[in-house]
Amino acid sequence: MTMLMDPAPSADALALATSVREYLAETHGPEVLRRLDAASGRDPAIWQGLVAMGLPGLMVPEDAGGMGLGLEEAALIAAECGRVCLAEPLVDTAFIAVPWLLAHGDTALLADIAAGNRTIPLPHAINPWVDGGEGLHSVDPLRRLGTAPSDPPTDPHLLNLGALMTAAQLVGLAEAMQDQAVAYAKLREQFGQPIGAFQAIKHQLASCTVAIEFAKPVVWQAAAALAAGRSSAAIHVSHAKVAASDAAWAMAETAIQVHGAMGYTYEVDLHFWMKRTWALCGAWGSRAFHLARLDDAIIGGAHPIGPEHTFA
Amino acid sequence: MQLQYTERQQAFRAEVRAWMAAHVPKTPLVTLECREGFDQHVAWERTLASGNWGMVTWPEDYGGRGLDLIEWLIFEEEYFRAGAPLRANQNGIFLLGPTIMEFGTAEQKARFLTSMARGEVIWAQAWSEPGAGSDMAAIKTKAIRDGDHYVITGQKTWSSRASFADWGFGLFRTDPDSKRHRGLSFILFDLNSPGITRRPIRQLHGHPGFAELFFDEVRVPVENCIAGEGKGWDVAMATAGFERGLMLRSPGRFQATARRLVELYRRHAHNAAPAAREAVLQAWMGTQAYAYNTYSVAARIMAGGRIGAEASLNKIFWSELDRAMHRTAMQLLGAAAELKQFGDGTANDWLDGYIFSLSGPIYAGSNEVQRNITAERLLGLPRLGAG
Ligand SMILES: Cc1cc2nc3c(=O)[nH]c(=O)nc-3n(C[C@H](O)[C@H](O)[C@H](O)COP(=O)(O)OP(=O)(O)OC[C@H]3O[C@@H](n4cnc5c(N)ncnc54)[C@H](O)[C@@H]3O)c2cc1C
Repeated sequence: MTMLMDPAPSADALALATSVREYLAETHGPEVLRRLDAASGRDPAIWQGLVAMGLPGLMVPEDAGGMGLGLEEAALIAAECGRVCLAEPLVDTAFIAVPWLLAHGDTALLADIAAGNRTIPLPHAINPWVDGGEGLHSVDPLRRLGTAPSDPPTDPHLLNLGALMTAAQLVGLAEAMQDQAVAYAKLREQFGQPIGAFQAIKHQLASCTVAIEFAKPVVWQAAAALAAGRSSAAIHVSHAKVAASDAAWAMAETAIQVHGAMGYTYEVDLHFWMKRTWALCGAWGSRAFHLARLDDAIIGGAHPIGPEHTFA
Repeated sequence: MQLQYTERQQAFRAEVRAWMAAHVPKTPLVTLECREGFDQHVAWERTLASGNWGMVTWPEDYGGRGLDLIEWLIFEEEYFRAGAPLRANQNGIFLLGPTIMEFGTAEQKARFLTSMARGEVIWAQAWSEPGAGSDMAAIKTKAIRDGDHYVITGQKTWSSRASFADWGFGLFRTDPDSKRHRGLSFILFDLNSPGITRRPIRQLHGHPGFAELFFDEVRVPVENCIAGEGKGWDVAMATAGFERGLMLRSPGRFQATARRLVELYRRHAHNAAPAAREAVLQAWMGTQAYAYNTYSVAARIMAGGRIGAEASLNKIFWSELDRAMHRTAMQLLGAAAELKQFGDGTANDWLDGYIFSLSGPIYAGSNEVQRNITAERLLGLPRLGAG
């Protein structure tokens, strides 16, 4: 059998992500976001549903009650969490903390995590807050940010996991905003036609589509590199974070523009996705931080750039 | 070409600076988009009026100082330099005011301008309707003549400040059989008239910055019509010209943002991306170019010229510049950008500013429509369909 150099996720991973997508589409629509926002709280039933799907244990080894899957599957599901603007601490606990604990051989909490009995807020020196806590207010009404501890960890592997999963969520956020903008452009009529008939609208949406489609393989490539423990993984993660952030940020600006004044309201749900996007674009390493890492590696010469190194 | 401020202009600048230093509130006001903040901003309008700063270009008889547009620009520069509050009566003084000055009768001027300059009556603009946003000629709300009144029935939307304002100026269909641009009239109405229901609409940030207005047989005296029945479209286009071309967004506002951005960059220089450095320089260059252009427009108007389709260029330029500056600030702030208050408790004005900057390419005629106008009217490119 020939080895195909294909960074696209495997068919099994995609099938799993599809089932998660379908479940979340059914149970976690915009009305849920509105309800959570109005009640300014969490609904334990949402977490219980994720537990019933086995998602907190996705990366927990089977002998500790999990599914034993890897970062590639986790990244795909993180994208699904972004797509529905999930506010549960699933990504942090299951896709960032678990692989980090595993990397350190720290297995004590894994069974509890897989059973859905424990979530783990993760401080890191790169972030001025902890996701999961109290004391700080995000523009995103569904994010619960706590003040950072005085001496947060600086572990680079944790940072890479955080940045990768943030990039993956941004892909899902971007695609969700794309869907909303496209749907609105078909529906809203001005000058006797759907606004989507105007090239000014078409071209903006098409440009965002290009950016999103070319961010996706970068994110999957980063997941594969980090999963394989390649020394170049940090570079791929930085690439993924920059590409996904830029695509999602541009998509948010385009989506509101396409919606006109509607997009500037709290009544249209788009704002939940835009706000999460603004938050995640800065989280786990700003654009500047990740560009500086690429700069050191590519211009500085630490990372090989010849034709045989495309997948280095 | 005149590139030096005159002594008189310099003295005027010093006077404004001194007054602002003495009067601008030391602690920022609560946002204009809620009741408490609105009242604070109205109080500020009255403080301004007490110093005769309500609208410096208007004749003294109407609460102004009879100054020219260059002096107005200087006033604006100093206003924003001082970090003075946003103007609650912006739509009155910058949009309706110049419109009444140009098209109003002597009686209308006396009746509406003075109270506007004094901050006694706060105005809201009521043009858009659910079915008439970019396509304003699709306006349906009717104002039917009945003796010496119009009877208004229909719905307006996105009316900024209308949740709390006193009066509105709108475009209404006075000829029920008319189509598109014809048969529209520009009418002023008391927002507390019987038959008007206001529904505040929450904006992105959660405050009711604009409102929907429902009109159920609202009676408005015919003398509230500006420039005569059926002339509404032409009057509105002139107002839109002031809005896009000059008055709504003076360069001082953006220059103040660019200066703050330079400060922000200096604090973050050690961990900023190279692109951010260039973006900060672009901000300074862009606001300078905008200032040069605005001074020329002002000089042209003072020489008797008018604002034409080139107002569209202006609208595109300032709105995209403002968004780019705030986007750069958000990137410089990195993971702190999402915080409403920073760890030290200070408010994250850049976040609020970024959110507001996203509306710039939408209101006052969307930038897509401004690009169509630029291409078709300034460049003479062929029109495709109705757009
Ligand atoms: C913050 C804010 C304050 C406002 N304040 C007021 C106010 O005080 N008073 C008032 O009357 N209105 C106000 N408005 C409304 C504003 O005037 C409208 O939003 C604007 O005219 C656009 O209309 P719309 O929102 O219906 O968008 P639509 O017209 O539905 O446009 C949606 C999208 O389609 C695009 N589009 C439409 N037609 C074309 C075309 N021919 N070619 C290419 N693209 C096209 C638009 O550019 C936009 O991207 C405000 C809006 C905002 C956001």
